[in-house]
Amino acid sequence: MTSKHVRATRHTKFIKNRFASRFLRSHLRMKRSDRFGGSQSNEGVRKRSTHRIKIAAYASMALAVGPSRTWSRALLFKLRNRARLQGVLRKRCLVSKKNKKKRVVRNKVIISREPSRTDTLRKLVPGGDSMDICCLLEETAHYIKCLATQVKVMQTIADQLLL
Amino acid sequence: MINRALLPAGGEENMLHCTDITVLERQRACIKWQQEQQQQQQQVQLQQQEISYFTELTGVFQQAGFHEGGLNEVVTRSVKPDPGLVDNRWNNDHLVGFGVGPPYNNGPGFELNYGSISRTSSCPPPVVAAVAAATVKGSESVVSDKISSGVGREISKKRKVDDKQNNSKVDAEEDTRDKRIKGCAEEGESKITEKNNNKNRRNNNTNKNNNSNKESSAGNSKDNSKVTEVQKPDYIHVRARRGQATDSHSLAERVRREKISERMKYLQDLVPGCNKITGKAGMLDEIINYVQSLQRQVEFLSMKIATVNPRLDFNVDNLFAREQAFPACSVNFPTIGMSSDMTNPAYLQFNPAQQQLVTCCGLDMGIDPPDMGLKRTTSSPESIPETFLDSSCFTQAHPPPAWDADLQNLYNVAFDQGRQTSFPTQPFTGKIKLSCLFYLHFINLINP
Repeated sequence: MTSKHVRATRHTKFIKNRFASRFLRSHLRMKRSDRFGGSQSNEGVRKRSTHRIKIAAYASMALAVGPSRTWSRALLFKLRNRARLQGVLRKRCLVSKKNKKKRVVRNKVIISREPSRTDTLRKLVPGGDSMDICCLLEETAHYIKCLATQVKVMQTIADQLLL
Repeated sequence: MINRALLPAGGEENMLHCTDITVLERQRACIKWQQEQQQQQQQVQLQQQEISYFTELTGVFQQAGFHEGGLNEVVTRSVKPDPGLVDNRWNNDHLVGFGVGPPYNNGPGFELNYGSISRTSSCPPPVVAAVAAATVKGSESVVSDKISSGVGREISKKRKVDDKQNNSKVDAEEDTRDKRIKGCAEEGESKITEKNNNKNRRNNNTNKNNNSNKESSAGNSKDNSKVTEVQKPDYIHVRARRGQATDSHSLAERVRREKISERMKYLQDLVPGCNKITGKAGMLDEIINYVQSLQRQVEFLSMKIATVNPRLDFNVDNLFAREQAFPACSVNFPTIGMSSDMTNPAYLQFNPAQQQLVTCCGLDMGIDPPDMGLKRTTSSPESIPETFLDSSCFTQAHPPPAWDADLQNLYNVAFDQGRQTSFPTQPFTGKIKLSCLFYLHFINLINP
């Protein structure tokens, strides 16, 4: 029992370290690429950099966890296809203005009932749409744990930077 | 059905008891039938497995889901002898495999205990010789599978595979039997009345003696032949308590509910402030709030890091540029010391800052006569030697309280700049506006 506990904690530590190193590396890369692109600190740039850092944090977390978890797999998939999806969405918006009305009507029909708590949780946990409730709860537990670690690590990094 | 007899009945009994007794029974059966050694070996293995199964259980749970932190609790829970818990967990792992079979209603008379079935069935390869031969192979593979693979959902899949193999060997008729067994397995978890048990025992004996499965009530006898394939130590032992429904649907539903509540308990330990809340809805609310807050925190922290960025530039660059920058420093700094800008009023204005900067420069350079001269021009020459010698003076030196944060910033930045051979101009666009004048002067100083 104790050995298992130790192993579990070691596992979390392992994830933590991997996340920290990945995050720092991606951050550094971001900085490098940013430096020559001009770094005026106006609102837009800051917002964009915030977004990028957030995405980097999530991606490095998912990478650190690896593909063994449903949520990390879903997250990685989402991040990988982000650009493509955005492109497709933009195209759709441009092309299909005619179909908008129909789609809206259909959506109304589908989303007639109020979203329950489970649905809310499903939206929060990446990849939760395709899970049954048991899986969802399990993944949620792991996700929460990883998020907590992530927050802790980022907190320390931010503190270090603010020194 | 025949095998039911072996179950020592009674819903309140522990799993452990069940396994032990069934094992004994099986041994007896073996002696009776004088089977081949292979089968005996199998049984021995099975027994061992069954004995060790409880110890393995913890491993199963680990695999099943909770890898981390709360493992302790899970483990302790699983170790508990409480039949309900253990049984349900078992179900969690293995019920998956059974859902495939067509819904099969055994009716009250056909309620089986799944575990007992499979165990007993393993010993007597019934007189149907062909079937036995086929199934023996199957069972062997099954055993090996069991041993090799960790217990878990995989096994249920493997079981399916095995069943398929056997089915291919045996007729289509047995196919249906197999499905029935699956159905039984779902249903078998229900509690068996003692009356049934007695009946079954009798049936069992007669069947075994006769070696004709078809003699007994039709459905049961059919099951027996096929049961050989399903002999696995990982059975689903779910029993309905008195007054609970025993059909497959309600059993599965109960299992599902237990599973959910177990996960909920785990989450409850994970989410702070969730202990006091009772009720699933409230807990879900709390969990959702917690996840949202964590995500928001991540966003906030990333924002924070983004705002701090400009200085991270220096730090990070310094980390990597330190090695190659060092030799260059010694080249650059003498020029500072020699420069005649010392008398500049702006420079003198920031006297303490200047002093520290100078010491830092000296730190990198080593002892340099012109630099010493520079220090002498500053207001407090007596404090120089100690800081000069102390290599960590830069980090340890407490800036005078008169300094504002910006100046301090500048100080760091300037130092970082000094250590690099190349001087990118854009880092200077930080928050440092107050001390711009000084800054420009410093740049002038550094750049020859």
